[in-house]
Amino acid sequence: MRNPIRLIALALLLASGAAHAQTAVAVQSPTRAHVEVLASEKLEGRMAGSPGEKLAADYLVKELQRIGAKPLPGQADFRMPFNFTAGSKDGGSTVTVTRAGASPQTFSTPAQVQALSFSDNGEVSGPVVVAGYGLVVPESQNFGYDSFTGLDVKDKVVVVFRYFPEDADQQTRATLARYSGLRYKAQAARQRGAKALLVVTGPRSPNAGEVVPMSFDTALAGSGLVAASANGAVADAIFAAMPGKTLEAVQKEFDSGNPHVAGFAVPDLTITVKAAVERERQTGHNVVAYLPATNAMAGTAAANVQKPWVVIGAHYDHLGRGATGSSLAAKEDAGQIHHGADDNASGTAAVLAMAEALSKQPRKRNLMVAFWSAEELGLIGSNAFVTTPPVPTTDMAAYLNFDMVGRSTDNKLTVQATGTAAMWPKMLEQANIAAGFDLVLQEDPYQPTDVSSFNQASVASLAFFTGAHVDYHKPSDVASKVNFEDLDRIVTFAGSITRRLLDMDEAPLFTKVEQKTDTGGGRAGMRIFTGTIPDYATEVKGLLLSGVIGGGPAEQAGLQKGDVIIEISGQSIANIYDYTYALELLKIGQPAKVIYMRGGERRETTLTPAARK
Amino acid sequence: MIKRLCAMTLAAGLAAATPASARFALWRGELSAQAPAPATTPGANQERDFLTRVRRLTVEGKRAGEGYWAPDGKRLVFQSERDATNPFYQIYVLDFATGETKRISPGIGKTTCAFFRPGSDQILFASTHHDPKSKQYQDEELAFRASGKERRYAWDYDTEMEIYALSEKSGALTRLTNAKGYDAEAGYSPDGQWIAFSSMRDAYNRTLSPQEQKQLETDPSYFGEIYIMKADGTGQRRLTTTPGYDGGPFFTHDGQHIVWRRFDEQGLIADVWMMKIDGTEAKQITQFKSMSWAPYEHPSGEYFFFASNKLGFENFEVYIVDKAGAKEPVRVTYSDGFDGLPVPSPDGTQLAWTSSRSGGGAGQIFLAQWNHEAAKKALAAAPSRK
Repeated sequence: MRNPIRLIALALLLASGAAHAQTAVAVQSPTRAHVEVLASEKLEGRMAGSPGEKLAADYLVKELQRIGAKPLPGQADFRMPFNFTAGSKDGGSTVTVTRAGASPQTFSTPAQVQALSFSDNGEVSGPVVVAGYGLVVPESQNFGYDSFTGLDVKDKVVVVFRYFPEDADQQTRATLARYSGLRYKAQAARQRGAKALLVVTGPRSPNAGEVVPMSFDTALAGSGLVAASANGAVADAIFAAMPGKTLEAVQKEFDSGNPHVAGFAVPDLTITVKAAVERERQTGHNVVAYLPATNAMAGTAAANVQKPWVVIGAHYDHLGRGATGSSLAAKEDAGQIHHGADDNASGTAAVLAMAEALSKQPRKRNLMVAFWSAEELGLIGSNAFVTTPPVPTTDMAAYLNFDMVGRSTDNKLTVQATGTAAMWPKMLEQANIAAGFDLVLQEDPYQPTDVSSFNQASVASLAFFTGAHVDYHKPSDVASKVNFEDLDRIVTFAGSITRRLLDMDEAPLFTKVEQKTDTGGGRAGMRIFTGTIPDYATEVKGLLLSGVIGGGPAEQAGLQKGDVIIEISGQSIANIYDYTYALELLKIGQPAKVIYMRGGERRETTLTPAARK
Repeated sequence: MIKRLCAMTLAAGLAAATPASARFALWRGELSAQAPAPATTPGANQERDFLTRVRRLTVEGKRAGEGYWAPDGKRLVFQSERDATNPFYQIYVLDFATGETKRISPGIGKTTCAFFRPGSDQILFASTHHDPKSKQYQDEELAFRASGKERRYAWDYDTEMEIYALSEKSGALTRLTNAKGYDAEAGYSPDGQWIAFSSMRDAYNRTLSPQEQKQLETDPSYFGEIYIMKADGTGQRRLTTTPGYDGGPFFTHDGQHIVWRRFDEQGLIADVWMMKIDGTEAKQITQFKSMSWAPYEHPSGEYFFFASNKLGFENFEVYIVDKAGAKEPVRVTYSDGFDGLPVPSPDGTQLAWTSSRSGGGAGQIFLAQWNHEAAKKALAAAPSRK
């Protein structure tokens, strides 16, 4: 499971000691051996592009050969390589501020200047324009907000504040927050002809005066603009050119959120921005095979049904030793092997076990068996696959995804993306009569896992998931904590659905599900810490807490596991999207009224958010 | 609006932010004026005292509920909105061995409250399909839903609702009632020879006082009474005469009694009652000062299941109470929203009920293993009723 928006709050998951019931394991579990091999020390956490990934791929190839699967038509090998950026770091970016008649000041330490991860490499110079928060709300939103109105930024260096106006009313903040992502700001500046973007975190914002840390970004190339962030010292040097203007005073003006507060050019000043991003390129490998249709009329069988392919898949990569940003290891565990037994040796094992069971059955369609890599880095493997598919995606009747299916508790199994075909609920109902899971259905296919890639490719899909837990993205996600009994039940359950799909004449009709939230230019990034641990596996109305972080604001507010938050600071909360959204609008240190349900009773408390770095 | 069943739809309706009917607005005021119920620590784990391997049984469609077991425990009959051309409940039979579900009702009009006839191939349910306006109502409702508007879900006590028995073998549908006014909420006796049901015919077979006439217009369920008839529809006889909605009757497993729920005259409070099948010796089982309804006896004959909103207007939970009603009821379910319509399997080892716990407000049928021994223990340990 990748670690994006939906899992933001998961990043807050600290070692709160939720006990995991160990279930007695059937003697001949079809998944156990696979999980134990994949999650072993030897494979070193299966980081995409690493020797551990290679060993894992070797194991998968051997298993696929054992069950008689073949490379895809036209492919010589099971391994299908793709390139990706494995990481990026600042390679010595600098900013030089030159006032007319004064000697240039150059800033070059990492605390003073950092390139933004999506910056082009290069050095550019130009006069300076301050464009407020650099926010542009698309016309379609009917809101009328453009920080660039009346400004000529062509061939200039544009200086903007990070985040969005601090003092604006809630409605305005709610709208602007959506368009405050740095990539979005850079795009707006580039489209208006700017030479460079320089981001400053204002003194009235969280992380005041600090540079934006280089985040992990998997883009293979820059975004067409030189973009960097600078600290307060650089900002002071810029405003020294304008007597009477301080950074704080300037920010305060923009903080009203009034769209008529105009940006301005800084006279007699030239800035030179040199951005250097070092991107490390690597090659990852998807492992993909198939079991051909077995009709009496071999060879032509698959052609007789609509859409002759059914695809089952799971990502087999994980975080290695957690060098990327998505590790949640405690400080003392940093650098340890992240075993990824649940994420996603469990899904990989489920797909292998299903393929083996199905290899012994006749089928009208071809069964494609796919193991993706670099999922943890942003669904890169599955995206590469659907972008240049060796089999047309229009020939795929369905895609079934398995990501984190080894930690079922209380008989629960979440099935996502059920909105992608009208026939899914009926099929799930029927298959579950025998399987007996407490199913939780989520229509939304825009999930932080490979099902998203196939949904984008208009393939009717399902994603199986047993929920987040305290070991998520930590070295402690080990095989001994996997609930093999229920993992094997999932294999049987999903296997029966796959078999139906392989044998029926018609194919599920893909339905496009509208994306619930318009993420616009991306989020500003979470800057608030509340210490809540949302339960992602349910669809109760409101936000169900699967726990709170010891000592965090939520615990101090008296919130506890099982509470359902329905309103924060006047914003009603119907789901996780509303929640993450509402959090962005809270102010650090400012108490917010929280209304929640406990045991059917409506309660109220006050929560004071803290700052996140 | 309420019937033995459709309080689940009531719960669903409450979740929507649409204006409440007068009756429910009043109700809301009543209940919120009370002191909060004594705190019981909630949590799914507590539910596991009695219910294990909880699972969602129905998935397809907008809502489903009222699951009743075949006498051999191998099938379940239930109502569900899952037909694209009919927005109302139709009746379905689910086969646990194959996982197949098939519709057994005509597909036209509204239906509700099905029940397997013991020792027979018949299944009864109430239906309005004979109403020539059925198709028109379906189209109107579909158009309303397509318009994107929402309203509180309300059970309309359609006066065309009549009880039918379907022969599974021949497909023959036999009409058993023919009285103006809602006839539904029917269940067979264990020997399959009798049917207990609820009817509002009393509102139409005599001259109403002006006050009663007004009552009929605002809330016909006030006229709901319990009736009994032979399995062929003959010998229809009224068993209750108390003003206020009497409904949801089921035979006890010994065939000697009927258990049902009785609303007070205002329709605000309901309790579980029991009487002999001739209508004598009516006895109130619960005095729970809330809306307690949907009673069903455990096959052991030792206690009743029922549902109540004791803990909050929108929060129905399943309870059990000893047969004599001597003790305080024991809470079974712990989940926000609706849990109700509990029906144990014929062997008493499983419980099917309707719950909104899967989200979205509308109910679906859930199934779990039922811990009978733990239930007996908890009932024995329950404090005596004050």
